[in-house]
Amino acid sequence: MPLAIVWIFIFFIHFCSGSLFAQTDTCSFNVSGKILDIDTKLPIPNVRVIVFGTDKLALTNSKGEFIINNLCNEVNTLIISCIGYCHAKCENHHHHDESPHIYIAQDVSELEVITIETNHSKENGTETVSQVVLKKDDIYNDPTQSLAASIADQQGVTTTSNGTNVQLPVIHGLYGNRILILNNGLKHGFQNWGTDHAPEIDISTAHRLTIVKGAAGVRYGPEALGGAINIENNPLYLNESFKAKIGTGYQTNGKGYFVNSEINQGLKNWSYYLGANYTLVGDRHAPSYLLTNSGKKEKSVYGGIRYHHKNWDFKVYYSYLDQDLALLRSSVAHSGNAFVRNINSDEPSFIRPFSYTINQPNQLAQHHLGKAEMHWRYSDNAKLTFKYGKQLNKRDEFDVRRNADRPIIDLDLITNDYQLEWKHPDWLMLDGLVGVQLFTQFNDNNPGTGVTSVIPNYKTVRYSSFIIESFKRDRNTYEAGLRLDYELNSVAGRQTNQAIFSDQFSFSNLTSSIGYVREISENTSFRTNIGTAWRTPNMSELYSFGQHGFKTTFGLLRYYTSAIGDVNTNQVLKISESTVQSEKGYKFINEFQIGNKKNTHTITGYSHYIENYTFERPLGVFGTIRGPMPAFIFTQADALFIGLDYSWDRDWSKSLKVVYGISYLWSRNIDKNEPLINQPPISVNYKLKWQKEKIWKFESSNLTINPSYTFQQFQAPKTISPESLIDGSVVISSDSEIFDFKSAPNGFFLLEVSWSFHWKNITGSISVNNLFNNGYRNYLNAMRYFANEPGRNVLFTINYLFENKKNE
Amino acid sequence: MNVLKNYGLLSMVIAGLSTTGCKKDADLTVVPPASENEMEVITDVKLIFINNSDPSDIVEARAQDPDGLGVQELVILDTINLDASKTYTMTYEIFNNLETPGEDIGAEILEEDNEHQFFYSFSNNAFASPSGDGNIDAVSDPLTYNDVDENGNAVGLSTSWTTPSSVLSGGTFTTRLQHQPDVKTSTSGANDGDTDFELSFVLNIQ
Repeated sequence: MPLAIVWIFIFFIHFCSGSLFAQTDTCSFNVSGKILDIDTKLPIPNVRVIVFGTDKLALTNSKGEFIINNLCNEVNTLIISCIGYCHAKCENHHHHDESPHIYIAQDVSELEVITIETNHSKENGTETVSQVVLKKDDIYNDPTQSLAASIADQQGVTTTSNGTNVQLPVIHGLYGNRILILNNGLKHGFQNWGTDHAPEIDISTAHRLTIVKGAAGVRYGPEALGGAINIENNPLYLNESFKAKIGTGYQTNGKGYFVNSEINQGLKNWSYYLGANYTLVGDRHAPSYLLTNSGKKEKSVYGGIRYHHKNWDFKVYYSYLDQDLALLRSSVAHSGNAFVRNINSDEPSFIRPFSYTINQPNQLAQHHLGKAEMHWRYSDNAKLTFKYGKQLNKRDEFDVRRNADRPIIDLDLITNDYQLEWKHPDWLMLDGLVGVQLFTQFNDNNPGTGVTSVIPNYKTVRYSSFIIESFKRDRNTYEAGLRLDYELNSVAGRQTNQAIFSDQFSFSNLTSSIGYVREISENTSFRTNIGTAWRTPNMSELYSFGQHGFKTTFGLLRYYTSAIGDVNTNQVLKISESTVQSEKGYKFINEFQIGNKKNTHTITGYSHYIENYTFERPLGVFGTIRGPMPAFIFTQADALFIGLDYSWDRDWSKSLKVVYGISYLWSRNIDKNEPLINQPPISVNYKLKWQKEKIWKFESSNLTINPSYTFQQFQAPKTISPESLIDGSVVISSDSEIFDFKSAPNGFFLLEVSWSFHWKNITGSISVNNLFNNGYRNYLNAMRYFANEPGRNVLFTINYLFENKKNE
Repeated sequence: MNVLKNYGLLSMVIAGLSTTGCKKDADLTVVPPASENEMEVITDVKLIFINNSDPSDIVEARAQDPDGLGVQELVILDTINLDASKTYTMTYEIFNNLETPGEDIGAEILEEDNEHQFFYSFSNNAFASPSGDGNIDAVSDPLTYNDVDENGNAVGLSTSWTTPSSVLSGGTFTTRLQHQPDVKTSTSGANDGDTDFELSFVLNIQ
């Protein structure tokens, strides 16, 4: 037999989504894998793996394993050469953080193109922070769900919501403006206030989701005080054959259906993708009644083009989303009596037959996002990136009211982002990233709502600069970062008598982070990070005024307490006259991961101290012409959050995997030594995954069983019923202890079962949520005052993938 | 690094900095939102009882919520003092006086009368007609509406009240305006739809 040297071209899939924060192009990629004999599955030692065009190479060890670090290029060609072996085949592993196994058969016959997936390097500045990556397959089982719901089964992550459609992610007890949402790498420019505005992002466009669980403010900006979620679209790989995917599905709860489609292709210098989605869901139902007005409609189109020339890369993206989200009709209470009635009745007060029609209250939103970026890799380990993004967010909200056909909120928000980043060449063994950014946002109220605007018109201009450096030595990585933001705000709004108020103010925020990772052994690592972040209270926290939904809310500058302790709302304060300050967070997070072949334990412990933590709390019940109304205020206090996430991954066999998880969070207002409100309760979950390679006609199939239990929130504030406030039997003032109008709901058990299969070009799944059709309420859903969560849902999906292999 | 690279580097840094770093003169002028006719807020409600046999015999009772959505409490300014053994027609003046001039919400209710209905409750048998305690607790209880909407359903911008010969002191009189879009029927009641206002007055009949 002749000495055979096999050249195998492996197109190295990695991330180059073109996200703003260009994790992609730093020279910190690595490829690792295992080379096995295709027949015997035995490892092959001493196989030479070379990254084509570089001097990087590795030999496999006695276990057949290899690793090559510090790769820079977007497309790497691996040359695997060995003696006596050929015809490589690669298993494509979809689990992140898992090395691919490359099988090589004996005897040479042909060249074959195979793809492998590899670990993706962590973003500069977040390397020492605990994070989770979800890939398309993890997300794709239920494309009708919201962004927040798709990540909620991760430890330490949950959702806060305002019904079935409006959901925001919660990381370690923080949400809203403290969790930065990056839409394809850009800070998603939306009306990010309260729990009743969710990011307008179609989850079915996502190819990858990264959840950063610690303060990532240095890298991403002050809104990442509690963490960040990066949603990335198609990564625009080069040299990819033409692929077209079409998927559709049906869900029983809400009789919803969806269609989604995407095509993509990568040529030598060009690549593109294009997609469109449509979702329609009608009224959903709780186990024993219909949730009238809980459907949604969503359309989206998106696409991107990349041009690659030598060491330059140009990318342009565009996405558009149009959604109409219904809010539960029974959440509307225009009077205290109605609120009392709705809050006390077991069933919602307003139930109508099933319908796809969306009536008031509802939210219409349109979001355009355009982005252009330019990468220039001028040397092996240095790069310049310039990005520009523009977003237009149009939002119309409709309420049940006399003039229901007019929007009660009609806002246009224009966001501009300019970013210049320099990934500098190694200097004194330091690997680093330096950047300057300009961020502007203009909010404009459209006339004709017939109400005084809840949010004023405003302009925000923010100048930022940051530096992140990391230093690697042996098994230790040190990372430190510093960021300076200078933010100018100019505000003009109206009081209810239509008098104009205006203010101009600026904040300077300093954000810093320092962290350390130690790879103790191959499967054991320790990471620790201390991060500080300052955040300016946002416009709704400052200026909210009046009724929206079932409650009346007053922002920090819309009320003041008089000398005798009365709350007054008759003037708008200037920020300089108020006690309002930036929120300052200090988060210390540690993650210890210990593993052997079959077990991986991950323990994440954190403590987060936030000065001037801004939150919304019930204030009391005030007499209005409609009768007594529940009122809420925004307030600031120093708060402490301490928590623990633990997960244990156990591989019982090649096909059976089990994950146990628990999340615990303790939080407290330490100014007043009282509980905070709307904090996530303890939850435990279990996930069993059974993978079968061949069963009947299916090439592979997966069975997942996922029971979980969420405890009652034992740290909820005391309960004062609105009745007792209305009849005067309980009197409270603005310094009274925090309370809630309804006690925290009981704990609940949920069982989710899903089965997915792969047959030729077709993949599909059947999944059942809330299998036992349990009636329960979720403490973090504002609708818990009024109705149960949706009951059992059976979701069927089917996807067809066309791939033109000739094109390679 | 060759010259070309240097040029590229330089031009990119300049391009980047000129857009990101050097905009010192950002225009921060913000135009306030347009003035809105506040249509949802009601600050002043006046009940006007006119004696059917003597139009100059007028009894008025006012309620005021001076700051609308603010936290100031609602004030009931007057008691309703009616004479015994008379028949009155009761109408309303409903305004939002946060604006100048005030906005006549009563006119708007008349325009949308097929979505609105007034309901009442009062001390039991306070009136000779209607008898009983009003229709807030049960919509079929007697009440004398003088007006109907386009569907023939009662509205209540005008109602009739006949006082008995007996006197009453310290009674109650509650009026509730319900907004009932797509809800109002001949049988819909005081708990259907949403409350636009609910006001309780002291009622004396002398």
